[in-house]
Formats: sequence, structure tokens, C-alpha cells
Amino acid sequence: MSTVTAETRVFPTFEQVCQGFAGQITQLREMAPEPTLSDSVRVRRAIDTLIAETNADEAVWLESCIRCGQCTNACHYFQATGDSKYAPMRKMNLYRKVYQREIGPFRWWYKLVTSEVKLKDLEDLQELVYDSCSECGRCAMVCPMGIDTASLVHHQRSALVAAELVPPELNALRMEQKHRGTVFGASEDVLRKMIDTIREKAGVDIPLDKPHAEVMVLSSAVDLVGNGNGLLATAKVMNHLGVDWTVCSDGFESANFGLLSGDMSLWKHQVDPIVAAAERIGAKTLVIAECGHAYPALRWNPMLKSGELPFEMIYMSEFMGRHAKAGRLRLSPLKGKVTFHDPCKTGRRGGAFDEPRAVLNAMGSDLVEMPANKEFNWCCGGGAGIFLLERATYLRDESFKIKMQQVNSSGADTVVVSCASCRLNFEAGRQKNNWDKRVESLVELVADHLIDEKKVGSVTPIQGAAA
Amino acid sequence: MTLLDFARGPAIHWSLIILITGTIWRLLGVLVLTRGADLSRPRDAFGNFKGYRTVFSRAWPSGEFTTATRYQTAMAYVFHIATLVVVIGIVPHIEFITSLTGASWPGLPNAAGVAVGIIALASLLALIIRRVSKPAIYCSTWGDYFAWIVIAMPLVTGLMAFAHLGPRYETMLAIHILSVALLFAWFPFGKLMHAFWFVFSRAQSGVAYAHKGVRI
Repeated sequence: MSTVTAETRVFPTFEQVCQGFAGQITQLREMAPEPTLSDSVRVRRAIDTLIAETNADEAVWLESCIRCGQCTNACHYFQATGDSKYAPMRKMNLYRKVYQREIGPFRWWYKLVTSEVKLKDLEDLQELVYDSCSECGRCAMVCPMGIDTASLVHHQRSALVAAELVPPELNALRMEQKHRGTVFGASEDVLRKMIDTIREKAGVDIPLDKPHAEVMVLSSAVDLVGNGNGLLATAKVMNHLGVDWTVCSDGFESANFGLLSGDMSLWKHQVDPIVAAAERIGAKTLVIAECGHAYPALRWNPMLKSGELPFEMIYMSEFMGRHAKAGRLRLSPLKGKVTFHDPCKTGRRGGAFDEPRAVLNAMGSDLVEMPANKEFNWCCGGGAGIFLLERATYLRDESFKIKMQQVNSSGADTVVVSCASCRLNFEAGRQKNNWDKRVESLVELVADHLIDEKKVGSVTPIQGAAA
Repeated sequence: MTLLDFARGPAIHWSLIILITGTIWRLLGVLVLTRGADLSRPRDAFGNFKGYRTVFSRAWPSGEFTTATRYQTAMAYVFHIATLVVVIGIVPHIEFITSLTGASWPGLPNAAGVAVGIIALASLLALIIRRVSKPAIYCSTWGDYFAWIVIAMPLVTGLMAFAHLGPRYETMLAIHILSVALLFAWFPFGKLMHAFWFVFSRAQSGVAYAHKGVRI
């Protein structure tokens, strides 16, 4: 584990970062815009969005549910609360109603026998598709029909964007990213200042805007406005490996509040400059920062023709895992038992299982698995933007208890995560529950265990500094 | 025309027409919709084909969910197999199928047919008892109960006709055939269509996850 030495403190601890974010999130609620359209227009736009986004895949899934109840037990929000309204199958009821009335083969019949969708229905849907579904996909692992409820939930988020029903915190960040191009104010200037700070205080160089580089690395707002250790650790790893890398000031943000809120025009607006920057500098690899949903936003987004791009997109844990497997990461031993929490978006819904484990193995760590792991991993409860929602605090806190039980029964004293959102949620949960486990970020852990680098700068914490 | 003539004649024939046209209509109505292509680069070139395994592998729940699913999985298997055996195994059914298609095969002894029918009905009861006793888990709709009644009726009336319970045999037989006609006619409209959807639904998810290198 990392050691704290007074002379190498640069950035606040993640505990302090987490507390700092809590304050910023409170302000988001006040910044959220109010709806501007009439009720009927909002409902119509939501319905039109669902119609436009419904292909044969969605139709088959909506047709297939037999209400066998298996998904209910697989969902952490139901397990944690016992409240049937959080059953995954209920999260597609409104979608199915719209489908049956507007698209399905018996639509003329359903128009006769079912009532119209009202704004109230959409308002009620908000809690089901934002607060109580992290789109983790665990229910798809048990459904005998194989229904991918998470995909259906995502389309409903898009419908609620059209209906001006995005929860205030997510909406404020969506608007900020849409109109100012920043998240939590993490602008190009903030990036430059952070890079300067890291160079001056930690003595670690971050190559910014190189005209050509093999590896383009993304950062994230959490790292830029709170947890400088994340970017510092990334830089240390890249420099250790000696790769030809850069950060581009016109495409550095992993966080995509378009994908999180369901606003796919913003998703594209955010992704296009990153792709353009990577093409311009001739990158062969685009490394996505430890920001779970950025992985599906870039690597797996079905609308992004990544097969035709001249570079590949990989997650930070994958990048490190490949180098670890090739023996290029020289790491000092990690003491104690550790377990790895697969973020839903990179694990079950991303397939990056082996690489983070290869990194931990390269540290010679005593890696133990949770009872439900990899494809069956329980979500930490804070994914898909839920960490930001004040209204979802109870759901988040209760479902985090499942995660704590899982970690506890693994016997590990440290849980390693590779997603800023999971990490914030774990850290908040750890503090609330006085949990005796350590929560570590994979990239920061690696940076702390690099061998043969001069001990200048550190990812180790400073006490008392505000986030 | 007696009730039995009606049941054996127009009722069962029209219900079969509704079954076939309704099923084709519903399947086509969904399957003709466009499919959104996944343009992202697959994790490995032939990975997507592995996704079709899910059509078969999802026939049994993963070990992770054994505790939560074993009652229902066991009962559902007993119900489906027993019902299939009754439908194609007892002599009067074979005679009916022969009259429609010409195909014929040896039937089960009567006692075995009755035993399997009782097993099918018992498992169906076991399933509905669980559905009713755990409303939070199942979130049932009227369609679930209606489908259950439509499935249970042929089993109940068939056993009654065989055991000569209730009204006189011809009437009971007519009721049995009418209940089957109701089952056929309802099939394309409710959740019984899962008999077809499961193939497409599992394949879609299997392929979508296999694209990312995940086996579900």
C-alpha cells in the first residue's frame, strides 16, 4: 500500500475529494433548468423518441417478458429495499405501453383498450430509469428470455430528455457540458493549470498537445477539479512505460453527460472532438480514463464506427493490463488481501475482466474474488449518474450494503476499483458506514508501486487540503 | 349440430386459423422492423457468433442464481415436459393429429397419460401458488392470470373427461376441445408467444454481449 510522506504531498486525499464533490453536487440542484415546453409537447416528444429508437431488438425484448420474476432478485435496488416497484421488469412497462400503442403488430387494438401516456406517467418513470437503475445489466444474466433491460432503460432516459424530465443534478451537468463544454468547470484552462501543478509540485511531465503521438490519453472532470492524483498517476504510469503519449486540449474529457442523461445529441457532440483529435495526431491507441461510462460512450457505442477508425480505444485498466501481461510494468509487491470490483460498464457490459486482474497479479497481490464476481458482480449502487442524485441517496446507501457484504465475505482488506464514479460511491459508503476497508483506484495503486522511478511527486495524500 | 360437433368442427378449425395467422402476424410485425447495427469494433472477429450459444445456455440458470431460481426452474421444466408428453403422447390426441396431418405414432398407456397430466397440473398449481404468494417478485398482470387459466383449462377438462367426472362424457369432451380452441385462439395475443420469442430475445442479447467479449 502507499506510504504517506510529508514532503511528497501534492493533492488532497480521495476522502477529501469525495467530501468536496458532495458540496458541488448540492449546488447542481439549484442550477438545473426548468421545463419550458407544454405538457402535451413533452409527452409527444418522449413518445416520438421511443418510436425513433425502437428497432427489432427492443421490440423483441418488450414482447418477450413473461413476468417470471427472476430479474427482481437479481437487482440490487430491489434486493436492498424489497420494494416491488424497483423490479427490473417494471422498468419497461411504460416503454412497452408506448410500443404496443404505436409500433407493435396489434397497435390498433392497444390504442382502443389502453389509455394514453400522460406526463404524470413520465414523471413516475423518472425514478425507475434514473434513480433506481444503474443500467448494470445484472438482470440480463438471469432472465430466461435474455431481455437486456438496461438497454430499454437507456432508451427511456432518452425519452425523458425529450420530455425535459432529467433529474436536476444530471440535467445541470448535461447543460453545462452542452453549452460550455465543461463538467464541473473542468475547462481547457483547468487542464493546463493541473498539468502545470503536476509538473511544478510533483515533477512529473504531462505532454500536452503534441502534434503526433502514438497514445492519446483522456482525463476526467473528477481528476481535473478534485482528484489531481488520478491524472498524476496516469502520467507516472505512461512515463514509466516510456510510451509516446499526449493529452489533447481539444478532446480530453472522458465524462459524457450525454450518454449518462440519455441525450444522444450531446453524446455525439462530446465524442466527435475526441475522435477528431485522435485522428489528427495519428494516435494508434486512445486510452480512456478510469471513468466507467466513458467506455460505452466511446469503445462500445453502437453508433460510433470504431471498426473503421485508425486507432483502437481501450480502458485504462486494459492498457495497464496489456503492459502488465507483457512484463513491461515493473511493480513492487502489494501487501494484504485485495479484491477487484468490476465496474458494470467495463465488466459485464464491457468485457474488460482479465486485464485489471493481470495488473494486480503483476504486483504479486493476494487477489481474492467476491462471491459474485465478473459477469455476476453486484453494482456498487452509484453507477449511471446515480451517485449524483440526492433523491437516490436511500437507494444508493441500501444497495451499497450488498456490496459491503460481498467485499467482507471475500476476506479482502482492500477493494480496488477502476472507475471514478464507483470510487466516489465506495468512498462515500465507506465513510457513512465507518467501513474498515480500503478503497483504492487501480491506476493510483499502480503509480504508487512503480519500480525504478525517481521518488519525485507522489499520488499519496495530503491532509487538510480542500478538494 | 351438437356441442361436440361444434367443438370438433368450426371451433377447433377456426382457432387453428387464428393461431397460425395471429402468430405469423405478430412475429412478422416485430421481425420486419429494422435492426440497429452495432458499428463498434467487436472484441474479437468471430466473437459475435459465440453469442448464439445463449439461445441454448439460458435454458438453465447460472449457478449464481441457483437459490433464487431453483423452485421455479424445476416446476417450469416439469410443467413444460409433462404438458408436451400429454399433448403428443395420449391416444385421443394422436388420433386428432392424425386426422389433421396423417402422421401417427404409438400412444402411452392410459394410466401413464393420466399420471403425466396430473403432474402437469400439479406443477402449474405450484407455479401459480408461488406467483400469488410473492406479488413483489412477480409484478403479475391480468394477462399472466388469464394465460394461466387458458393453459390450466385443457388440463383440468381433459382429466375430467378421461375420468368421466362432471357432465356426461360427450359434453365434457366438447368442453375440453373448446378449452383447447380458446388456448389456440389466445396464443398469438398474450405471453404464450414466449414459445417463439425466447429464441430471438436470447440470441440478440447473447450476440450483443458477445460483441464485447462477455458470455451471458
